[in-house]
Amino acid sequence: MILQSLKIALESLWANKMRSFLSMLGIIIGVGAVIAIVSVGTGSTQQVTSRIANLGSNMITVYPRAPRGQGGRVSGVSSQEKFSLELTDYIKKFCPSVIKVIPVKQVSGRLISDDINVNATILGTNIDYAEVNNYEVDIGNFISENDDGERRQVIVLGSQMAEDLFEDDNPIGKRIKVNCEGKIYMFEVIGVMKEKGGSMGGDLDDRAYIPLSVSMDKLTNSDFVTSYIAQAASSEKASTAVNELKNFMVKFLDDEDQEQFRIISQDEILDTVSSVTATMSIMLGGIAAISLLVGGIGIMNIMLVSVTERTREIGVRKALGARNTHIFFQFLMESLNLTSFGGILGIGFGYAAAYFLSQYGDWPMVIAPLSIGLAFGFALFIGIFFGLYPAMKAAKMNPVDALRYE
Amino acid sequence: MSKVIQIEQLKKTYHLGKVNVEALRGVSFEINTGEFVSIMGPSGSGKSTLMHIIGCLDYPTGGKYFLSGQDVSKLNDNQLALFRNQKIGFVFQEFNLLPKATILRNVELPLTYNNTNSTNKKRLAAQALEEVGLGDRLKHRPNEISGGEKQRVAIARALVNRPSIILADEPTGNLDSKTGQDIMKMIDKLHDEGNTIILVTHEQEIARYAKRVIHLKDGIIDRDEVIV
Repeated sequence: MILQSLKIALESLWANKMRSFLSMLGIIIGVGAVIAIVSVGTGSTQQVTSRIANLGSNMITVYPRAPRGQGGRVSGVSSQEKFSLELTDYIKKFCPSVIKVIPVKQVSGRLISDDINVNATILGTNIDYAEVNNYEVDIGNFISENDDGERRQVIVLGSQMAEDLFEDDNPIGKRIKVNCEGKIYMFEVIGVMKEKGGSMGGDLDDRAYIPLSVSMDKLTNSDFVTSYIAQAASSEKASTAVNELKNFMVKFLDDEDQEQFRIISQDEILDTVSSVTATMSIMLGGIAAISLLVGGIGIMNIMLVSVTERTREIGVRKALGARNTHIFFQFLMESLNLTSFGGILGIGFGYAAAYFLSQYGDWPMVIAPLSIGLAFGFALFIGIFFGLYPAMKAAKMNPVDALRYE
Repeated sequence: MSKVIQIEQLKKTYHLGKVNVEALRGVSFEINTGEFVSIMGPSGSGKSTLMHIIGCLDYPTGGKYFLSGQDVSKLNDNQLALFRNQKIGFVFQEFNLLPKATILRNVELPLTYNNTNSTNKKRLAAQALEEVGLGDRLKHRPNEISGGEKQRVAIARALVNRPSIILADEPTGNLDSKTGQDIMKMIDKLHDEGNTIILVTHEQEIARYAKRVIHLKDGIIDRDEVIV
């Protein structure tokens, strides 16, 4: 009987092609939107997480916090003045999950090459910095141990910085002036980094890198660094390393409330990003699901119109021997067919939309089978749910009244 | 001769709000297999109500109705549907064909509801259309044929299940008189072939095709005459 109802339903949908298609449209768009949005969500999350992972390998950054005081007076010694170079060795010693500690001294200055000058953030650091950041040299070399040990006034430029100062010329071997706190130092360019883009704490391409010893002893004459970058032994050990660092800093700074330092880890950023994108996906998926629901209400509307319009037909079918269940299944099948065809077309539409969006947004196209199953299943459910009432209405019609209906 | 219809003191009262309308007030008659009977009466005489009850489309509120020896008033909706399918062939005034289906599909419809397989369905429907002279129009749709042809399709549809009675409700009402006569000749021919026919009409000339006329008036039988 179901098969026969299916056939009758298909015939009547085919007889009203335009109307069938229009009532399917809501479902097509709904299913397509669910699939496309979920795909965009997963695709862009994958892209962002892979970018973050690319920023560096298991990096943890430790900063001092700005000193806080009361009544306009700074209380005690600022924690900035405890971030000394010796800390590097202590951290290594007390935090077994940390394999490398790289001190960074950040200085602001103006780089001058002939008649071009650019304000820049200059980082004093050592050879490990590039490695930990997954940061590669394009031409020339990064700062070496000897550069640091001998306090050579050499400078490595970020890709953007090199372009700003030298445009298309090869900067290697060129000498530039660095104006720092009113004094001018001569530096020799020894390398240009590859383009990298954003990173933890800013755009690396806009920066310049000099030996740590030069930045501390010559440019600022300071004993304290700006931050430490610690590398965890592995991604599994990253959270252990964060805890070890936290415990160490609490003890070292005698800072139970963790007010004087701040630790940012890649894991933490990944967690934040994925929780943000998950929320976004749920929200957008919810909106898409609502559009699916609205499509379903549209189907019910059309089915009710169709039942009324075909009252006479229902009467004739009953007079010719159709049982109530025949009529019920005929109309239920019609609505189910509308939503299942709509669902299938919607999957195609969702695929196409996901493909074009992934091209546009330059992220991998990921279509989760679960999202297809879920959207299609929901469409079928809607077909049954919103088809029930019109089908019951049709089945319950009194044949005499139905035959008389004008 | 066996009795195909036995009706005893049949009553039907409609409750329209506070008013009760007695459409049938105790009607009794019998119809034998192979008879050709007209039910006549002016509008409001109860003939439509009687036809609906004979056609198993409606329940009586009193009295008894036996169709092929079975008490119809005791049947449930599904059994009534089965009876309509097997025992009764309807011919309506407005033809009541499905407009979007071919005439073959229209004639197949009663067979669809008793699970005839599709090969037999096609064969039986084509055969019934052959009988009414439309064997070459199977693929046409109702809007492509004339009124007379539509009514012939409806007759083929009524015949296709080989029912116990053919119930024709004003079959010529929507046709011009010439076509109406053709249709009545066809119905007459069906009677000659042994079909039991009940014709509901208010037109004297049409009723006269029958061999017996039951006159209804105000819900009771006024006259039951045999035409020689």
